[in-house]
Amino acid sequence: MANEGAVHVTLEASPDEIYDIELEHSLLEANAKLAVENRALLDRHGITAIDFMGAIGSGKTTLITKLVERLKSRLGVAVFNGDATTSDDADAIAKQNVPVVQIATINGCHLDANLVGKGLRKIELGNLKLIFIENIGNLICPAEFPLGSKARVVVVSVTEGPWMVRKHPHMFLGAEIVVINKIDLAQAMEVSVEDLVDDVHKLKPDIKVIPTSTKTGAGLDEFEKALLAV
Amino acid sequence: MHELSIASGLVEKLLDFSEKNPDKKIIEVRLAVGELSHIEEEQLRFCYEAITTETALEGSKLEIEKIDAMVKCPHCLYRGRPKYWDGALSGIPVATLECPSCGKTTEATDGQECAIKSLRFTETSPIAS
Repeated sequence: MANEGAVHVTLEASPDEIYDIELEHSLLEANAKLAVENRALLDRHGITAIDFMGAIGSGKTTLITKLVERLKSRLGVAVFNGDATTSDDADAIAKQNVPVVQIATINGCHLDANLVGKGLRKIELGNLKLIFIENIGNLICPAEFPLGSKARVVVVSVTEGPWMVRKHPHMFLGAEIVVINKIDLAQAMEVSVEDLVDDVHKLKPDIKVIPTSTKTGAGLDEFEKALLAV
Repeated sequence: MHELSIASGLVEKLLDFSEKNPDKKIIEVRLAVGELSHIEEEQLRFCYEAITTETALEGSKLEIEKIDAMVKCPHCLYRGRPKYWDGALSGIPVATLECPSCGKTTEATDGQECAIKSLRFTETSPIAS
C-alpha cells in the first residue's frame, strides 16, 4: 500500500483498502437508559408519572389544570411543563399552588429523559404521589423518547379535524390512554367522536379511550379514575 | 424534527470513533431504522449532511436499511407481521397493533429500532503500509 504522494486516501479507495466493522449501537438507547433511571427514582419515592402528549391547542394544559384542581387536596401533585419557548402553560398551572417545573426545550420538539431527570432532581419528591408531565405540543416526535413515566396519555381534540388519529398512528401505538377532548364542539366541527374512538381501536384494540370536555366536565371522572388506576 | 436529535447522537458517536482512530476515515455508515420508528429517512439524511459538513465525516454516505415490523400476541401467541390498516390514508397502509389472528392488542417485537449497524472506513495515514 505504498502510496507516497497521497496525504489522504480518497473516497474512491480501491476495494482492498476498505474495511468494515460491525457496531451494534442503538441511537435511542441513551435516552431509554435515562428513562429507566427516572422511573427507578420515581418508584423509590412511590410516585406515578404520567406523560401527556398531543398537538398544540389540543387542551393538555387545561386538562391537567382540571385534574390538579380535583386531586391536589387528596394527594401530592406536581406538574412538569415542556414548552419550546414560553412559560405560559407553567404560569397557568402554577396558579393551582402545586410544584411546577418549567422545562424550556429552546425550540426542541420533544422532552427527553435527560431534561425530565434534571427536573426531578430540582424538586422535593418526598410528599408527591403524582407527576403530570406535559410534553411539547407535537404529535410526532415525543413517541421516540420515553421519559420514565408509568403511562402515556395522548390528547386529541375534535377541533383538530377527523383524521388526527390515522395521520399520527405511531403516537397511539405507544400510549396507554387516549383522550378525545373538546367533545362539546363536536357537532359544530362536524366531527364524529365515535369515528375517532374507532380509529384508535383499529390501531390498538384494547386501549382505553375517554371522550372529554373540560367545558362541561364530561368524561373527567372517568379520566381521573383511569389515571389513578395506572 | 427529532431527526436532528437522532442525527446528532449518531454524529457524536461517529466523531468519537474518528477521534480514537485518527488513521481511519469513515466513508459509509449503515443504519437500521425500524418500520414502527418515527424516523423519516429523507429528513435524517438532510440533518446528517448538514451537521457533518466541515467535520471528519464530511462526504460520508448514510445507508439506511428498513427493518420490518414484527409483533407477538400475548393472548393467542401469534407471532409475525402486524395487521395493516389499508384504507386509513390515501398513501401507504398503516401498521397496527391489532392481532391478525385474534383481534386483540399485540406487542411490537421488531421494527422500533434506530441503530448503527456497521461502519465502512479507509486507512488514511500516508505512511501506513
